[in-house]
Amino acid sequence: MISDDDLILYYYRDGLDANERARIGAALSAHPELAQRLQTLVARLDAVSAMPEVPVPAEVQDRWRAALDGAAQQDAPRETRGARKSFSQVRWPLAAAAAVAIVALTLVFQTVLKPAPELTAEVTPPEVPSGSDASAYERGLKWHLASTEQQLASLESASPEERERLVETIIAQNRLYALAAERAGQPQLARVLRAFAPVLESVAKDDESSEGGIAQLNFELRVMQGRLGAAADASSTPRSTTL
Amino acid sequence: MLTLLKSWAQPDAFQTLLNERGVRWFNACLRITRDKDLAADAVQEALLKAWHRRDDFRGEAALDTWIHRIALNSAIDLVRRRKTRAEDELVDDEFTEPSASPDSEYSQQALEKDLAVAMQRLSLKERQTFLLKHIEGWRLEEIAETLQTSTNNVKSILFRAIRKLRVDLHVWRGES
Repeated sequence: MISDDDLILYYYRDGLDANERARIGAALSAHPELAQRLQTLVARLDAVSAMPEVPVPAEVQDRWRAALDGAAQQDAPRETRGARKSFSQVRWPLAAAAAVAIVALTLVFQTVLKPAPELTAEVTPPEVPSGSDASAYERGLKWHLASTEQQLASLESASPEERERLVETIIAQNRLYALAAERAGQPQLARVLRAFAPVLESVAKDDESSEGGIAQLNFELRVMQGRLGAAADASSTPRSTTL
Repeated sequence: MLTLLKSWAQPDAFQTLLNERGVRWFNACLRITRDKDLAADAVQEALLKAWHRRDDFRGEAALDTWIHRIALNSAIDLVRRRKTRAEDELVDDEFTEPSASPDSEYSQQALEKDLAVAMQRLSLKERQTFLLKHIEGWRLEEIAETLQTSTNNVKSILFRAIRKLRVDLHVWRGES
């Protein structure tokens, strides 16, 4: 008898020893109704997890930027302390002018890097995503695919523990984007993203099969990136390329 | 001069990453805290910690993952510190039935409301455990360490959370 608790641990690939995993894996292969039970359970949990994203309030974004600028400015004097000490003693008017220039540059910096409006736009219900939401989602997905490609490239030099950890991170991120794809009304894309999971699991093993897995993943990633790029070109608007 | 250039170039990279990933970090923290101010504080704390350790990161992806994780840790910590609101007790006492209808003819708004109610019925620890496992993909041991409890306890909390969610979602789906 396999409980839902066992099924859910099997799905999470956590909390079961190798024997238990093998037993549940075999049962899932032998009993389609059990596999269906797991699928239904996971779909329900995905549904409850796929809550709409809340936009970051503009004042919060400004606060984060200001905090980063503050930290950067605190560091800058430390790095140039020696040179600036004598400079400020002898040529203080120039130092004041430089400070004004830095403030001005910071303001320009903040203005230029202010996110495009679509990044803070309200997320609409998944069935009918607005153009701006779709654009933000698409950018996120592109970023995820590019980042996954980068992480796959770094697997070769990773230790087995690092490798396992990296792959788990990718699987977790993938799951998030699969949820987002469903919310954006793209079930096919969600299925493709979910289909990466078993290939990624084989990659985590670091054996002969993993090389083929990495090659396959890289291929799939490039195909998806190509499709996203083509879709963006077809409907290219200034908004879809701004950041 | 090179050092100076490098130092000024790095905030640029941070700001770009913030523009791209800030919403995701914020929402991950918001799910944990259910409080926008705490979520914002958690992200800011993580950003500043990452800034001070910026030389340790090899790339944007590593930095993103690190900030995401530290922000979640900060969020959990901030909630723990602000526990005076006794959120758990409130949630347990204010049991709210999902607004199920026999026809299951839900508008998207009603559906999202019910899903939100399902999550609200979880206690603080149940919600955090479920989110860290199901959404964030943390290992049971990591959750145990962060929530300062045992791995077995984390398992029990997780199973309890899932059972509660399933009960509510059965109602939502019109299933028995």
